[in-house]
Amino acid sequence: MLLDLTHDTPVIVQGISGRMGQRHAKLMQRYGTRIVGGTSSRPPSPDDAFPVFPDCAAAVAATGAQLSLLMVPPLQTLAAVQEAVHAGLRAVVTVGEGVPVLDALRIHALTREAGVTWLGASTPGLCIPGELKVGFLPDVSLAPGRIGVMSKSGTLSYEVGSRLVAMGHGQSAWIGVGGDPVKGLRFADLAPGFAAHARTSALVLVGEVGGTEEEDFAAAWSALHCNKPVFALIAGAQAKEGVTMGHAGALVMGRRGTLQSKQAALRAAGVQVFSSIQSLVQAVDAQVGRT
Amino acid sequence: MLLLEAHGKKVLADAGLPLPRSEFIRAGEAPRWPAGAAVCVVKAQVPVGGRGKAGGILRTTPELLSAQVQAVFAARIKGHAPQAVLVEEVVQGSEHYLSLIVDANAGGLRLMYSPQGGVEIEDAFEGGAGTVNLVAAPTLQGLAAAVEQLRQAVAPETRDALAELAQRLANCVLANGLLLAEINPLLIDAEGRPWAGDAKVVVDMNVAPEHPGQRALFDENRDLYPDAWRKISEDFDYVEIDRQGGIGLVTTGAGLSMMLIDELVAQGARPINFCDIRTGQMRGRPDRLVSVLGWLGEIATLRVVLVNVFAGITDLGEFARLLLEARRLCPELTVPFVARLVGHNAAQAEALITAAPCGIEWEPDLERALARAVAIAGNC
Repeated sequence: MLLDLTHDTPVIVQGISGRMGQRHAKLMQRYGTRIVGGTSSRPPSPDDAFPVFPDCAAAVAATGAQLSLLMVPPLQTLAAVQEAVHAGLRAVVTVGEGVPVLDALRIHALTREAGVTWLGASTPGLCIPGELKVGFLPDVSLAPGRIGVMSKSGTLSYEVGSRLVAMGHGQSAWIGVGGDPVKGLRFADLAPGFAAHARTSALVLVGEVGGTEEEDFAAAWSALHCNKPVFALIAGAQAKEGVTMGHAGALVMGRRGTLQSKQAALRAAGVQVFSSIQSLVQAVDAQVGRT
Repeated sequence: MLLLEAHGKKVLADAGLPLPRSEFIRAGEAPRWPAGAAVCVVKAQVPVGGRGKAGGILRTTPELLSAQVQAVFAARIKGHAPQAVLVEEVVQGSEHYLSLIVDANAGGLRLMYSPQGGVEIEDAFEGGAGTVNLVAAPTLQGLAAAVEQLRQAVAPETRDALAELAQRLANCVLANGLLLAEINPLLIDAEGRPWAGDAKVVVDMNVAPEHPGQRALFDENRDLYPDAWRKISEDFDYVEIDRQGGIGLVTTGAGLSMMLIDELVAQGARPINFCDIRTGQMRGRPDRLVSVLGWLGEIATLRVVLVNVFAGITDLGEFARLLLEARRLCPELTVPFVARLVGHNAAQAEALITAAPCGIEWEPDLERALARAVAIAGNC
């Protein structure tokens, strides 16, 4: 669903009256996203830059919103997603860090059952360059092009994206899946969409140690028999077993989640795996046509 | 955060799971023998598996205790130096495996049981005979249904004990917001009583600050969990990885910070720390920078501080002001700094930093900034 979003897609921001909500609603609108309003527990004010509704149901009824960006505190995320799902929104993007993992499992079950697409938590969001941006991916790293980007990390993908853009390689779509262990869309969920996506001619996967997402993507990609090149960068080679490095999902335990396991699985699926940012961008530049 | 075995077992014991008699001994304390125990093992308290093969678990007697405790403290286990050991009574019994783990892919809690314990989970389930492997919804009802399935699937002689234990484990996971609760080996003695031989418990650091017991654990054991304590008290991530390193990192973003460490090590350098300072949450105050510079200043081998921020939203002009302020507040830190700040308002940041007299080198290219830090650090 996310790859089909356009500048016409009506988007609301839950928590639009907060400092971050106000700021990012304006930044997204400036990028071209159709922000049709938002929700807040505060009553509307004449100074509001966007229509403010008391809840998602009112916002959807008034605007026809299809997607919601949640800018609410982590402990309120579960309730906010429940509200969005019950209001009939088709997709929710939860950018907040710190959502309790058992809450994330409940969000996972809730959204799957309702057929709602969930991106997050702990994600900088997504962008279809030239169409819309939902979240806070930096404009300097974005440009329309033919590379599909999917990433656990925000900042590492910004670095990769900006270097590629400087070399003339823009993106067909950029999906930040986030660094939490339990999340909505995972790399493997994105594989069929990117394989079939006519505007995507190559993929960049920015992964991290911990969990089995990269291994699961490798299995899904192999099954698709897609000949689009995939370039992967996995951070965390130096992470010690049992020590979490920032992202809650980046925890190596025993043989689970190791760099070696991910490299082996990805390479077996035909993915090119790199250990430095520069080696990855040079390989992309050498093998993929510029836009 | 993976708890040390003794603390993981304390979480399980609070939920009513039986434990062998034991004594927890910190470095520098005199060894103590658990009252009434016959034979014990000395176990290194480090957050990794495979401790036995690395010399981190030794069988002992009262006569050998001091020497064995000393030997375990001297062991280096997968990069971890033990700061505490557990002296624990050996319980005789058949070995099993029982765990509840958050399964991100399945979107539920996975309940696993194997009649073969004491081995790695991947090995325990390769054979498959007698194993139970179920995914439950993360609710009391979901887990109760899974426990009932377990009861039906296991051997009659262990059925009641295992089902009761699994239910207690489920309650413990839900009450504490755990990501993993694993008992391996789970020992069942001749009377059919279960004992936790070893335990891996992973707490959710998104829950820990609000959870009185977990918060108290990290407050009371700052020396054993410095990273977790820093995260809870400072609300950002700083993980010390090499106390003999030469390059201190002031960085933001978990993935990029991890990648910089990987790239520095690949170049033969020794970064001291992982850092995700979260520039977006500094709210105009230099406190986080002052904390990081203070911790780095404690490292005798520190030769250079590398600052890297890719700012999508953060105003780098403001960040540069805070960096200069933090440097002024840490006058004892005299090593050179290399700053690589890219993104929103970088021009103002460059003007501020290059005009300041405190000698922060400005380098907008990350590859060159890394090379410069490596060159300054030399062999450290």
